[in-house]
Amino acid sequence: MLRTDKQLYIDNKPNQIRSLYEKYASMLLGYIIGVVKDQKIAEDYLVMIFAELSQQSDSQVWESTNNWCQLLRFAKDQLREIANTTAIKKSELSDLFIQNTQDKYLSDLNEEQKKVFTDTYYLGKSTNAISIELNKPEVSIRKTLKEAFAVIKKGCEN
Amino acid sequence: MKINEYIESGILEAYVLGAASETEISELLDLKARHPQIGDALYELETDLERIAQHMAITPPPEIWTRIEDNINELATRPHVGRLRIDTSPPKEGQRGKQKSSQFIEVESQSNHMRIHKVWRWVFAAVFILGKIFLGFAIYFYLANRQSEEKIIELKTELRQQKHP
Repeated sequence: MLRTDKQLYIDNKPNQIRSLYEKYASMLLGYIIGVVKDQKIAEDYLVMIFAELSQQSDSQVWESTNNWCQLLRFAKDQLREIANTTAIKKSELSDLFIQNTQDKYLSDLNEEQKKVFTDTYYLGKSTNAISIELNKPEVSIRKTLKEAFAVIKKGCEN
Repeated sequence: MKINEYIESGILEAYVLGAASETEISELLDLKARHPQIGDALYELETDLERIAQHMAITPPPEIWTRIEDNINELATRPHVGRLRIDTSPPKEGQRGKQKSSQFIEVESQSNHMRIHKVWRWVFAAVFILGKIFLGFAIYFYLANRQSEEKIIELKTELRQQKHP
């Protein structure tokens, strides 16, 4: 039977998504749990993100040099949309982070570093938004973010 | 602009974490094209971010991929469907039936294989061992029965010989 280009694309797409899934699903689930603090909801979001990823064209999926960073940006956009349309709001997510001060990799950070890192990494806030919130210059926020990143990196290396 | 100062400013971290503005991103990409140090620093940061995520990784349960496949198949067969939404609030009474019929579609699997829970491994092993035990008993009782029948025949013959010497 003659198969159309669209049919071939649909048939091959799951293999590409599967290889991305095998490599990054555990990392992405760890990240989403960091955001929503609920494994069941995080698993639902993981399913939704990979299903949505299958709808993207190849150029959209592979345009970055680092696939994980590209996937993370895509996941953040999806989670932002969910946060806008469902019961989970950013303010609730912030509260969850305040409760989560004992997080293994964040424990070495001071309060400001923790706030800046979690707001950018998990909540997707811009440095400009954080500078307004904390009433500090954006240059200082970026410096804090750099320091936080360096501390976490060091913690992961040990 | 001094490139080292730019790298040390934290703008690269903001970009990698998705916290940079559109203007900052376009400036960074422009500088990256002209200064290979920025490209190298970005590559290193992206690798670090991947390593951090690996340390925070949590393995998803095995059925997650099946759910993703089902979702992909559903989206592929319904090209004009809108974005899939996950509503965390429970559905109102009366809407439950309607939602169920519209959320799920019948999909006939093309695979000849089936997936079963790991617990069935022990059930199959128990059935196999019990089967062997029953077979052993069956053989034992069959042989014992045959032996007793032979003895009865022998005794009958002896009795017959004693009656008619």
